[in-house]
Amino acid sequence: MARWGMAADLDRCNGCGACVVACHSENNISTVGDEQASRGRAKHWIRVERYWEGDFPDVRLKFRPVMCQQCDNAPCEPVCPTYASHHTEDGLNAQVYNRCIGTRYCANACPYNARFFDFFNPSWDKPLQLQLNPDVSLREVGVMEKCTFCVQRIRGAQLQARTEDRALRDGEIQPACVQGCAAKALVFGDLEDPESHVSRLARSPRGSKLLEDVGTQPAVTYLARATQV
Amino acid sequence: MQPTAVPSNDGSDIALLPGQVSGVFTTARPTFGAAVDDFLNRRPVYEQPLEFPHNIHVGKEIACEVCHEGVDKGPKAGIPGLRTCMICHEAIATDRPRIQQITAMRDKGLDLAWQRVYGFSNDDHVRFNHAPHIRNKVECATCHGNVGEQTIAQRNVEHTMGFCVNCHNERKASIDCLTCHF
Ligand code: HEC
Ligand code: HEC
Ligand code: HEC
Ligand code: HEC
Ligand code: HEC
Repeated sequence: MARWGMAADLDRCNGCGACVVACHSENNISTVGDEQASRGRAKHWIRVERYWEGDFPDVRLKFRPVMCQQCDNAPCEPVCPTYASHHTEDGLNAQVYNRCIGTRYCANACPYNARFFDFFNPSWDKPLQLQLNPDVSLREVGVMEKCTFCVQRIRGAQLQARTEDRALRDGEIQPACVQGCAAKALVFGDLEDPESHVSRLARSPRGSKLLEDVGTQPAVTYLARATQV
Repeated sequence: MQPTAVPSNDGSDIALLPGQVSGVFTTARPTFGAAVDDFLNRRPVYEQPLEFPHNIHVGKEIACEVCHEGVDKGPKAGIPGLRTCMICHEAIATDRPRIQQITAMRDKGLDLAWQRVYGFSNDDHVRFNHAPHIRNKVECATCHGNVGEQTIAQRNVEHTMGFCVNCHNERKASIDCLTCHF
């Protein structure tokens, strides 16, 4: 059984936001308009955080893409009264929309702010509905949604490999954000396989986890910025 | 039955949900009644644009895959358009009124707007895939009943979660929620 993980090399991330756009289009994430966004109701399964360091004129700009960290010890899971939020065998933090009754406890428990509540039924100005991805269902008002590591692509690749009677190849599965990243800052793969690209990056001395000390055991490793620009 | 036609190149007219407000695409149900129907699993009675006889075709030993081309390749079986019909009906049964009807439609550049019989509502959040089932020799009839003996396809197998999961348990297929729900 695989355990899916990601690595984000902050040395490579230039904050362009292509991952955010790729994620929105792959996962049919609707927008809510500026007014509702200002009330904190925008949904971005991945976001690029921006930090300024130092004092003018010696300032440095740092970027950090943040998505659901698919924690092994996920605070969102035990608080869900309906098991909508639960762990799969391959280490994904699953969100079963059918089961979700919208208590929003999970979003409150998440230290990464990675869960988003649907305050509205999704809508798209016509004819934009024609670009929706048929592999991903649309979430209706009242459910919680978040990054899935593009589970539709994981399941699709697994099925393809089984059809061809072979093992999955490292790098074969690319979540939309990984595929969209021109700088190749994001790497996805199986942490159970010590030789996979993501495993090697996860062992890097530059690596750390987000809010490691709260004990969530995230599956995403951030590689610290080494170059001084 | 009179054929109802849609322009064949305009996907937007086919993709609309029943009763949907024009201008904006939304998953919201148009009326309270529609929501109740959906909750109770009551389906609207669809009128097909043409009374298509499955029985005649399957009786002539035409394989399901000839028309439902995608069924062993991916998620969707696919419902044939006029172009597929005309591969045969350019030459076969050209003297019958129904065939003359579809030939005339084709000549006008129109297509048949088949109404879906099987399928899940958006709120079921089910992502089904035909290919692994066909590869594992699950018969069409297990999930679609005796379509081969029907004229227009009727929905006579209910695709409840229990229906799916019972077999998955028996056949040792995955029952992880993220097999079917995402
Ligand atoms: C693989 C060849 C093939 C394809 C493809 C095909 N048909 Fe047929 N169809 C036949 C044959 C063979 C018959 C039987 C003709 C006879 O009775 O001699 C038939 C009969 C029919 C009849 C009954 C005619 C009558 O009134 O007796 C209809 C209606 C029909 N087809 C419609 C369609 C439509 C609509 C499509 C496309 C969705 C289609 N067919 C695709 C081979 C085909
Ligand atoms: C000659 C073409 C042709 C063949 C052969 C054929 N079908 Fe169909 N099928 C159609 C057409 C056209 C429709 C759409 C009209 C309808 O719903 O009856 C359809 C509809 C269906 C539907 C309903 C789809 C939905 O959800 O709307 C099912 C299920 C189906 N077919 C199964 C089968 C099976 C199983 C076989 C083989 C035993 C088969 N078909 C053979 C043309 C064909
Ligand atoms: C394991 C159950 C199962 C089997 C086996 C199966 N189907 Fe289906 N079929 C479904 C379900 C479920 C849907 C609705 C899927 C959806 O809307 O996402 C469907 C939809 C369809 C449709 C209409 C929508 C589409 O996919 O284009 C057709 C046509 C169809 N099936 C034909 C077939 C034929 C032909 C076979 C055999 C070769 C077959 N099916 C075998 C479960 C099955
Ligand atoms: C009669 C038995 C049977 C029924 C009924 C059935 N399945 Fe399956 N299903 C299978 C088998 C066998 C496999 C193949 C597992 C494999 O490839 O190892 C499978 C595979 C799948 C897969 C792909 C699994 C993967 O690992 O990605 C999906 C998705 C799926 N089924 C969904 C459904 C849904 C939804 C329904 C109900 C509409 C359904 N199945 C009904 C037998 C069945
Ligand atoms: C093999 C496919 C499959 C698997 C695995 C599966 N489901 Fe479902 N589920 C379905 C289908 C199909 C429906 C739609 C039933 C309907 O429309 O009646 C459904 C519907 C539901 C519903 C809505 C209630 C209903 O009957 O409409 C809930 C809640 C649900 N599933 C939860 C889960 C959970 C939790 C898991 C994991 C433990 C899970 N499902 C695993 C196929 C599956």
